[in-house]
Amino acid sequence: MLQPMYIQILALVIFTIGLIVAVSRRNIFFVLMGVELALNAVNLSFVGFAKTLPSDMSITGQIVPLFTIAVAAAEACVGLAMVIMIFRNRESVDSNDFTNLKG
Amino acid sequence: MLALIYFIILGVIAVGSALCVLLSKHPLYGALSLVVSMLSLAGIYGLLGSPFIGVVQIMVYAGAIIMLLTFVIMVLNAAKDSKTPMFDKVSLFVIPAALVLSGLVGFILVRAPLAFDAETVRGSVKITSETLFNVAQTGPGYFVLFEVIGLLLLSAMGAAVLMAKKRLGTNEEEK
Repeated sequence: MLQPMYIQILALVIFTIGLIVAVSRRNIFFVLMGVELALNAVNLSFVGFAKTLPSDMSITGQIVPLFTIAVAAAEACVGLAMVIMIFRNRESVDSNDFTNLKG
Repeated sequence: MLALIYFIILGVIAVGSALCVLLSKHPLYGALSLVVSMLSLAGIYGLLGSPFIGVVQIMVYAGAIIMLLTFVIMVLNAAKDSKTPMFDKVSLFVIPAALVLSGLVGFILVRAPLAFDAETVRGSVKITSETLFNVAQTGPGYFVLFEVIGLLLLSAMGAAVLMAKKRLGTNEEEK
């Protein structure tokens, strides 16, 4: 039988992969993709936990992911605009080249 | 039993394409692997009984966000960034740290007692919209959050247009 634990473990695995992609890849597009992957895993965890609750409480866990998806859309929009702007200044998508704050 | 088989198939596809995102060289291949991962996650949402979230996932993530990401990747760099190295020396410390963190969380997680509730609600379009747009005074009040999300998306769109456009009234060469 399908257990709720399997869903949480899948969400944890995908979150870990997203975290590793976001912090260890150097290309700036992969950083954005890792953040999206981690947000997806959190949505999956929300839905998985919502299915363990009785009726009136389980609605909440299925509505919050909708807001998370909308915030992720806004984040991708602004983030890609920033990538375009940085690329115009630096001609590079390597995040190690963005060292303005290093002093 | 059938649900478990479907879950294993979709989960293996999701994790495998997430690993493809981690290991792919060109960001376009990474974006296409991300589409596969998100589609299989939408399938898992449908399997768990939240079909509306699955449809929104396909429309917004696989449709809008990845389309935008692929568009920007193709506009910005044709083949230029394939010279960018994938990992550097910091990754040697970061990747084991993330693995140890997820190991600790997983160790706590597998000891937690969890079970499916028998009277949980299927997140269909009807029940989701009735809860989301419940404007009664004693209701949950999600409609206020919905308005705030609309304002957030509008301001994000304005900010993106203002940041990504060329400066108006300046010449090309002086920038």
